[in-house]
Amino acid sequence: MSVVSSTANLRTNRPSRLQSWWSGVSIVFESRIATVGLAMVAFWFIVGIVSLFWTPYPPNANEFTQNLSPNSINILGTDHLGRDILSRLMTGTQVILLKTRLPGDAGIDIPGGVALWGVFFSLLVGAVLGLNAGYRGGWWDQSIMQVLDAMIAFPSIVLYLVIIAALGQGDLVVIVAIAVTGAPGVARLVRSLTLDIKTRDYIRAAETRGESVNFILFKEILPNARGPILVDAMLRVGYAIFAIGTLGFLGIGLPPPDPDWGNMVNEARRTIFVNQWAVVWPAVAIATLVIGLNLFADGLREELTRFQK
Amino acid sequence: MLVRDCMTRHPILISPNWSASEAERLMSENRIRHLPVVEDGKRLVGLITRQRLSMKPEMLGSLNVWEISRYLADLKVKQIMIKRKSLVTVEEDRSVERAASLMSENRIGCLPVVDDDDAVVGVVTEVDISRAFQEMLGLPVDGLRITVRMPNRPGEFAKLTRVIADRGWGVMGIGTFPSRRNPGFFDAVLKIPNVTEEEVRAELSKIEEQKVIDVRSIV
Amino acid sequence: MSTIAERKSPTEGIRRPDEMPVLRVDDLSVAYKVRDGEVEAVQDVSFEIYRGESFGVVGESGCGKSTVAWSIVNFLGANGYVKRGRILFQGQGLVGKDPEELRRLRGDQIAMVYQDPMQALNPSMRLGDQMAEVLTVHRGISRSEADKRCVQMLERVYMPDPKDVMGRYPHQISGGQQQRVVIAMALLNNPALLIMDEPTTALDVTVEAAVLDLIDELRHEFDTAILFISHNLGVVARVCNRVGVMYAGEMVERAPVTEIFANPSHPYTQGLIRCVPKLGADKSSSVLYPIRGRVPAPDKRPSGCGFSPRCDYIEERCRAEKPKLRPLGDALLADLHSVRCHFAEEIDPGAWTPPEDMEIPLLNGEKRAAETAAAETILQLDGLSKFYPVSGSSLKDMLGVGEKRQVKAVNGVSFDVPKGSTLGIVGESGCGKSTLIRTIIGLEESSGGQAQFLGVDITDDLADRSSEIIEELQMVFQNPDSTMNPSYTVGQQIGRPLRRFNKVNSRAEEQAEVIRLLNAVRLDGSYYDRLPRQLSGGEKQRVGIARALASRPELVLCDEPVSALDVSVQAAVLNLLMEVQAEYGTTMLFIAHDLSVVRFFSDSVAVMYLGQVMEIGPAEAIYAPPYHPYTEALLSAVPIPDPSAKQAHIRLEGNVPSPLNPPGGCPFHTRCPRRNLLPDNGAICAQEVPPWQQAAEGHRIFCHIPLETLAEFEPVIQQ
Repeated sequence: MSVVSSTANLRTNRPSRLQSWWSGVSIVFESRIATVGLAMVAFWFIVGIVSLFWTPYPPNANEFTQNLSPNSINILGTDHLGRDILSRLMTGTQVILLKTRLPGDAGIDIPGGVALWGVFFSLLVGAVLGLNAGYRGGWWDQSIMQVLDAMIAFPSIVLYLVIIAALGQGDLVVIVAIAVTGAPGVARLVRSLTLDIKTRDYIRAAETRGESVNFILFKEILPNARGPILVDAMLRVGYAIFAIGTLGFLGIGLPPPDPDWGNMVNEARRTIFVNQWAVVWPAVAIATLVIGLNLFADGLREELTRFQK
Repeated sequence: MLVRDCMTRHPILISPNWSASEAERLMSENRIRHLPVVEDGKRLVGLITRQRLSMKPEMLGSLNVWEISRYLADLKVKQIMIKRKSLVTVEEDRSVERAASLMSENRIGCLPVVDDDDAVVGVVTEVDISRAFQEMLGLPVDGLRITVRMPNRPGEFAKLTRVIADRGWGVMGIGTFPSRRNPGFFDAVLKIPNVTEEEVRAELSKIEEQKVIDVRSIV
Repeated sequence: MSTIAERKSPTEGIRRPDEMPVLRVDDLSVAYKVRDGEVEAVQDVSFEIYRGESFGVVGESGCGKSTVAWSIVNFLGANGYVKRGRILFQGQGLVGKDPEELRRLRGDQIAMVYQDPMQALNPSMRLGDQMAEVLTVHRGISRSEADKRCVQMLERVYMPDPKDVMGRYPHQISGGQQQRVVIAMALLNNPALLIMDEPTTALDVTVEAAVLDLIDELRHEFDTAILFISHNLGVVARVCNRVGVMYAGEMVERAPVTEIFANPSHPYTQGLIRCVPKLGADKSSSVLYPIRGRVPAPDKRPSGCGFSPRCDYIEERCRAEKPKLRPLGDALLADLHSVRCHFAEEIDPGAWTPPEDMEIPLLNGEKRAAETAAAETILQLDGLSKFYPVSGSSLKDMLGVGEKRQVKAVNGVSFDVPKGSTLGIVGESGCGKSTLIRTIIGLEESSGGQAQFLGVDITDDLADRSSEIIEELQMVFQNPDSTMNPSYTVGQQIGRPLRRFNKVNSRAEEQAEVIRLLNAVRLDGSYYDRLPRQLSGGEKQRVGIARALASRPELVLCDEPVSALDVSVQAAVLNLLMEVQAEYGTTMLFIAHDLSVVRFFSDSVAVMYLGQVMEIGPAEAIYAPPYHPYTEALLSAVPIPDPSAKQAHIRLEGNVPSPLNPPGGCPFHTRCPRRNLLPDNGAICAQEVPPWQQAAEGHRIFCHIPLETLAEFEPVIQQ
């Protein structure tokens, strides 16, 4: 160890990257609520990953008797076309959480589900707008927030319909729809955080160093807003899944052939008096995933605020 | 001196729902004999005295041993206190002598002091009155205590003060009262520090028709 | 009254032998439940307070002062509880009392005043309604009668124009007036016990002085027992009869106020007294000696004497055995002076000398003054102004045709700062001192006048300045909690200006330079990777200083860098700043809100009022006549931690006028207590702008009163 420089010697207590990452993550387990939420979300992720490689039966093959109740062969029963519900549920997780199908006949998928990408873009757009509105103030603030307020005034379902009507159906369109409806909310949150953070002395210090506006926005302000943004993102993923479910139910969501939970509910609705199970399972799936995300976000928020004190 | 100057402010107060034994404990621990009973907003509803806590023999006679202990355990302040309507109270801007006369006329040892809406602001007890009396006659200060007898007519006291003023003496306490056995005269008691007896007798005996009847340094 | 000899007032006299204390706290220990176990925030605290007496509890933050107060009113929160001991109020035990009964006691007999008056006032209710509510709801008094009493009470607390105040909302009156309203409200029910938790900490010195006068007077008038909590020894010296000093959750010394200052027996008390500025006659009395180390967290207190790690007299026994609070000296004084130290009798504070490793700046003011007289001028202001436009709410204003109104935050300030010197800028809040330095550094664009720094015009704002000027002008901020970005490590934050101004070429060089800077502010290299939340307030402030020094600036602007720190740390940071300045030859502008802090620190001092400089001159000249009447008032308001010091009693009436509409002539004429020295009760003050009078070389006073008259003023402070 003769190569160690003198400065490095002085810095003995530097934690490794893994350690500091773990100390950040481990606060999740301080909260029972967050742990339960995380478990529920993790369950669906695992289900989704498993379905990429294995499902009990092919999800789109109608090889069974129609409208079976749960039994030993089809554990969750079958739907009105005689497809295995368990297989369809498992595969349904993919589009939400794990993959996005690019348009075109090549059938190329990119990793990351529609809900995640949608929220990611709404965060991206919302944060940039919110940071600029909050920090620069004046006309920037006025014009950005006026436009976003106008968007918030629209019921989100109407916005979805408008966007899909304009752009057609497809995974990317759903992502755009989620991003557009989510961004104003994110922007509002980020703006309010920015308004608070920009009064701190370290922002003055950056200004008196003559730092550029972009440096101040993204290097000085954004890192300190990430806690609340993270919590908000969790909740938004929940809303996005809900939105996808809603769109699927209306029949304008993610395009077939891959199963979609909302669409499954919609289709099973017609035979609800014959086979209730086909409606219940996808509904339960949506509910548990959204509740899981909400619990996780709640617990995380609680721990983050406690951490600050 | 007004009641507000001699009363004990912020007296210990109790609520009517306390048990009598708690009241008793509070009084003996703090060595006090009177407890004003108040409800919300310190409004006076009664008074507990030591006597009130003692049992009346005829009451005791009517109860057997078991009943007595139960009776005592359940006894509440409001059952034994002197009720507001039969209480004598005083306001804080009354004079001390008025308060003293209220106490002696009613043969009581304690007057709760209340403000316009019956909130207790203090209590005046015999002890407070007697302390006021001591202070009036200058007890806390060292000095000569001089009694001068003078005829009861205007101008006599002025003669005395003129002499004191001429000599530049300070008066730490003063009290006058009609001479008990000499109608037509009154006695003035003065407390003067930093003077000798000879000095005082020499100066005060010059005053016509007045007589120094007592000079003492120990009080 | 020649015939009545001087007589002690009854409350000051001998305590009645049979009297019971209003509040008696016996061996109180308070614990908070935390994630892993519990923490005893307060241990074995005992004291009593009698009628008409005020008991001061002093100590640094984290010593458990407020916890004691909260335990009395049972505001300990869900996780706090009284673990041992008892609290007797009027002979009744409060611990474990029925909550309903406690609530009643709080309403009727115990009142509390907090540091921030807005905590006690409802911002959406008129003051009159809030005050009257105390009487109407609780005691069923009719509204008109309640109003009458509130007005009376407001008059008692010397509120100007009380009827008018009753109709206002809290935000419409000043902070000092808000605190008066809160005190008046607390007294409406004629409480037996008044708990005041840092009631004047948030106020300006002149307002603080008036509020303290008021508290002292009301205590005598209402015979209220007062528990007065403060970190400021000067404040306690002014209003308390007896004092308890708290350290790390324990009461380490308890004595009458004169005794504690004349004969401090615990090393901590001695240290505290040494680290607050005295404002005495000569400059050497204002040298500050910090206490080393810092207050330990409640769960990390040493097992022996709590103060042992910071004590200069430590012996083996101190580490091993926890001392008891024991009476000091002869038995007669037994209940008067107690101390929690094994060696209290052997320690002679007079023989104390600073330990060798402590940094005491040299008193080289005179030498430096001579040096700097010859030095070039680095900063030159000539009539610098900063006005903020205000938009009115009338229709005319909305249409943009109304008269343009302006807040004159800085109004024609002129002075020169020689290279290498320190200029202290003093004034009450709202006097424009912060705006002045924000304008100099370019956070605000100036609205008029000239400002030159190193010969370059700096009247524009930061965006228009060249990088060369920016790196020569840096700033140290007030609030240690917000001076550092919580997301970055110390090393990253000090390294940033180095990289920004191209002071270093490589990562290794940057690291070496950062560590050198850390050493300059007496922090070792192990701080490099720490995050701000792992630092104490004093350490954060040191890092802030290191960051400001990183670009090797010519001029550092300090905005009250120590006012948010504990006294023992304050002294250390101040001394550090002086050291660093001597080492780097930096020029400094130093803002403070009272005159005691800048005393030994500055070569010259400027006193500001309503955006204008009232007096400026060499530090020595400011503290002795001739001085401006406003300087005199400021000096007289500074709380002095010495009950035997004689301080002139000059109180300013009224409030600072709005800078929106500053008074004509001399801005101070509306409150000037010395105006009557001029013919016609100072008619000229209201009409004509006063001249700048040269009192001595470099000492200017902005006043109509002739210098000869000003020179005849009695010195404000006499030992």
